[in-house]
Amino acid sequence: MGKEVSESCVDSMIIEMVSAYSNRFYANKAELAARRIEAIGYQVGLQLSERYTMERPRFSDHLEAIKFICKDFWSELFKKQIDNLKTNHKGTFVLQDKRFRWLTRMSIEPTPANADLSQDPSVSAVENKATQSASMHLYFPCGIIRGALSNLGIPCAVSADISEFPACKLLDTKPL
Amino acid sequence: MQFFGGSDTISPSPPIPTGLANNGNMMYVFNRNGICLIYKEWNRSLRTLSSQQDHKLMFGLLFSLKSFTTKMDPSNVEKGNLGVPQLPGQGCSFHSFRTNTYKLSFMESPSGIKIILVTSPKAGDLRESLKYIYNLYVEYVVKNPLYTPGTPIRSELFNTNLDQYVKNLA
Repeated sequence: MGKEVSESCVDSMIIEMVSAYSNRFYANKAELAARRIEAIGYQVGLQLSERYTMERPRFSDHLEAIKFICKDFWSELFKKQIDNLKTNHKGTFVLQDKRFRWLTRMSIEPTPANADLSQDPSVSAVENKATQSASMHLYFPCGIIRGALSNLGIPCAVSADISEFPACKLLDTKPL
Repeated sequence: MQFFGGSDTISPSPPIPTGLANNGNMMYVFNRNGICLIYKEWNRSLRTLSSQQDHKLMFGLLFSLKSFTTKMDPSNVEKGNLGVPQLPGQGCSFHSFRTNTYKLSFMESPSGIKIILVTSPKAGDLRESLKYIYNLYVEYVVKNPLYTPGTPIRSELFNTNLDQYVKNLA
């Protein structure tokens, strides 16, 4: 059903989109770039969720919809399911993917072996820049999830957290 | 002003299997403009030149060898005049050369990425290994969102996988 595109093409296009928005269109305005990328993800999420819920009945409650995102939606997008789902029963869900597909090939520069104490600020600056550019790449999947959920009738806010590479946690909070 | 990435320190090697003792074991990767993207050494006993001169020498040597072997090829129908530089995508008939103390294996991709591996003279045909290393390069460097093409490679994933592969190879 449908035509197929190589995964490398899609990966490269997403990489280029993020870098075009962060480095060319909104250089030095990280906030604006992030918002744009997230908005693009939102549109994509809306359309993808339409496509993937075509034959299904309506979801009975929020938990069902989140489970759909964790299982079917994630396997369509990333060929695997979410590894861990936690909730605080007050509207916040944490989705954890231990090996997020779009981050598997990302690699931060190794810190120089002989950095002495006086150079500490510069080393941490390098690491900060690397984590910042890595987190720029996460706005797109956040937007996708937000778009998918809002199409299913659940307005929410999604944020991402990469404390352990390449695992990534997506935090989804519903406005009360 | 170019600066070359990679490590110059010899990493502690595992128990050396027969045939590798006292022999150089290095790897260079160049791009089509002659910039050394990565230089790794696992076992090098003698260093005569500074690293910049070393890289230039290596690149120049292989450039000339490649050009020479193509012009000398008896089965090649169209031959340019000697000295006409070859375009990067035209394929390379030169694979390796061997001396008493080392064997140098070479591979060039259609995009002009040259991979050079210096091993012990007893090593067999390393073309498959070079292809595998090129595959590692594509997976972990080209597809890395944080990498700018044409700059020296500083990627932990690439380094660890490469070290693992070469140690298993030896």
